[in-house]
Amino acid sequence: MRTPRGFILAFLAPALALFCVFVAWPSLRALIYSLQRWDGLGTPEWIGLKNFQALFEDDLFLDALGHNLILCLGAGSITLVLSLLFASLMHRRIRGANLFRVVFFFPNVLSAVAIALIWMFMYSTTEFGAINALLEWIRPGLQAIGIHALDDALPFPFTDSKYLIVALLPMMIWTATGFYMVLFLAAMQSIPEAYYEAARLDGASPIRQFWHVTFPMIREVLTVGIVFFVISSAKFFDAVWVMENQNPTPESHVMATVLYQKIFTEYNMGYGAAVAVLLFALVFVTTAVTLRLSRKEALEF
Amino acid sequence: MNLSRITCAFSALALLSITGCDAIRAIPSGEDSVRVVEVAIFEGGYGIEWHRSMAEQFNREHADEGFRIELWGDPRTADILKPRLLRGDPPDLILDERLPVWLLIAAGKLVPFTDALARPAHGGDSSWGDAFATGMLDMFRSDGQVYAIPAAYGAWLCWYDARQFREHGWEVPETWDAFLELCDTIQAEGIAPIALQGKYINFYGWNTYVSLLHSAGGLAAINRVNALEPGAFSHPDAVRAAAFMQELATKYFQRGALAMTHTESQLQFVNNHAAMIFCGIWLENEMKASMPPDIELRSFSLPPVADARGNSAMLHGQGMEFLFVPKDARYPEEAFEFARYLVSPQFAPDMARSIGVISPLAGGTPPESVTPALQSVLNAIDRAPGIYNVRLRTLFPEWTTQVMQGAISALFRGEITPEEFGERMDAGLARSVEQTERPIPPYTPYDAAAFGELP
Repeated sequence: MRTPRGFILAFLAPALALFCVFVAWPSLRALIYSLQRWDGLGTPEWIGLKNFQALFEDDLFLDALGHNLILCLGAGSITLVLSLLFASLMHRRIRGANLFRVVFFFPNVLSAVAIALIWMFMYSTTEFGAINALLEWIRPGLQAIGIHALDDALPFPFTDSKYLIVALLPMMIWTATGFYMVLFLAAMQSIPEAYYEAARLDGASPIRQFWHVTFPMIREVLTVGIVFFVISSAKFFDAVWVMENQNPTPESHVMATVLYQKIFTEYNMGYGAAVAVLLFALVFVTTAVTLRLSRKEALEF
Repeated sequence: MNLSRITCAFSALALLSITGCDAIRAIPSGEDSVRVVEVAIFEGGYGIEWHRSMAEQFNREHADEGFRIELWGDPRTADILKPRLLRGDPPDLILDERLPVWLLIAAGKLVPFTDALARPAHGGDSSWGDAFATGMLDMFRSDGQVYAIPAAYGAWLCWYDARQFREHGWEVPETWDAFLELCDTIQAEGIAPIALQGKYINFYGWNTYVSLLHSAGGLAAINRVNALEPGAFSHPDAVRAAAFMQELATKYFQRGALAMTHTESQLQFVNNHAAMIFCGIWLENEMKASMPPDIELRSFSLPPVADARGNSAMLHGQGMEFLFVPKDARYPEEAFEFARYLVSPQFAPDMARSIGVISPLAGGTPPESVTPALQSVLNAIDRAPGIYNVRLRTLFPEWTTQVMQGAISALFRGEITPEEFGERMDAGLARSVEQTERPIPPYTPYDAAAFGELP
């Protein structure tokens, strides 16, 4: 029986209306603003692509773009490797797998702000900073074996703007690994056991089994994981904002904080909107390229 | 089942979901009977409890006048209000100068206090405008009109715990060299000489630099910077001030200070892990919940450097906690009335007693109404022949966050020389002046000679 068109429209209408009002229309407005010079208060003036031209001449934006790239490549590569490793270990049913799964996934139930605050405390240079306390504790041992790197370095100001981007990497890895581990584990668990049995009969080691059975069969999910990570690191905002006390510097800005600062601190609407449009374009292109490069005929099993 | 009815029902639901919230918000509570005047207060070092009690008292006293104050506060008022200002739906009265007040003035988005200042001061003998202490209304004056009035007197001072000083036999220094010697002594006893609120370096670090700039170069140096003179930061006096600042930062600031928030560093200070801290008058009120009971908080002005051109009695200060009325306010007259009530000779002593605010009104804060910590501030105010301040932070927010903040951080870390610091600051400022599309308000220079300084 054919479903009546009115019925379909009735169910589509609410979602479509919300999408148009809260996504499509604001996105279109952002695109329009990006072509204007406007302080949000006076009359907007059309300036064409000048905001975009200025963006590529602006050290603040280019540095922020570089910081996003560091977060994406640095945290992304380690996260994906670790989550693949942990997922494989879980898949092989190591002892305590369920406990590890819960422990690794735990950061995902916390809000991004809570995670940033936890790490801020851990990095603190006061007596409450767990990481500096740990370094302080191991310093005599290091000195005893002739390593003096920590002699004059403690407490180390991890959240000083100069070091913040690098200090964010462990936090991002800690937060994201559990999510990607669960994602990859689900994909691994859908692989029929028969393939592994065949591989074992052929004398394949666990590592060869991973490369020749597991990896090809989870490739599509891995691609999705990479796309997720690219998107999340491109729009990264919360931790920088919290750890910099809403006051990022050129050394710690990422694209989203530049966007916020341009719009809400400097009231430069057009420029801020241009950052948003470029951010969207970057995510869109990177996602398309990632999907394109990893496109192979899907394995069916 | 009639499908067209289902279609209609879903469409109606969709429309309701889109329009419903705004429709409900568009009906202000009690619109028919009482005008609700919305007041937004930045919940910073002074909190909002006193302001809230004043609003309640004001409402009781004006119960029959057809309006009432609804006051709220938040540490993130600026973030909350920015979108509301942009969409033309602001509160009627705002206390938060972290908003871009100059930009709002330039865009014609604020109502001047001219008429309100001509009215009598609440509980005073003069007009409200005449009741303010000298210099307190200068910060946001444009074309002879005052667009924002301060609710507090602000001064930049060095704070210490007199009990800790007494126990260690340390003396309050009278000169810069004595100050550095004191820092050496403190350090030798295993205590950090100075705590720094490193995460707000463009405020706390900057203000300390401005104090040194005045000491080294006098009001002439302050005038050069305020007048946006090219090369103002590369002037030998400004470079000298930067060198003093760098020495202080690299040798005497608490380790890891650049990574500390203001609460972290202030806790370090009140718990005697650091002996001194540069801060405004709000320090005592902001930290009162965390201060040990036996602390004896006191303050002193930055001691004069060798060959100082600045009069060391001058106070680095300004009005602060600024109140302003947006042009899009629904009830501006009622907002002015509440502002006049809030900042009044009648309630200034209570404000000092309750939250440690020194009034911006001349003689508004009787000595008996303040704590010993604030008494030390009042002494500095009484001694000062005048006050000075630099206006760049409010005038050029993009210079503050993109140039000055980075330059000060680099100077403090010892990554650039004082000369390079001056060049960076000058180049960045010149760029901001050139690129800004906002009108720059004219500057009336401080009269150096009137304060016993060389012009």
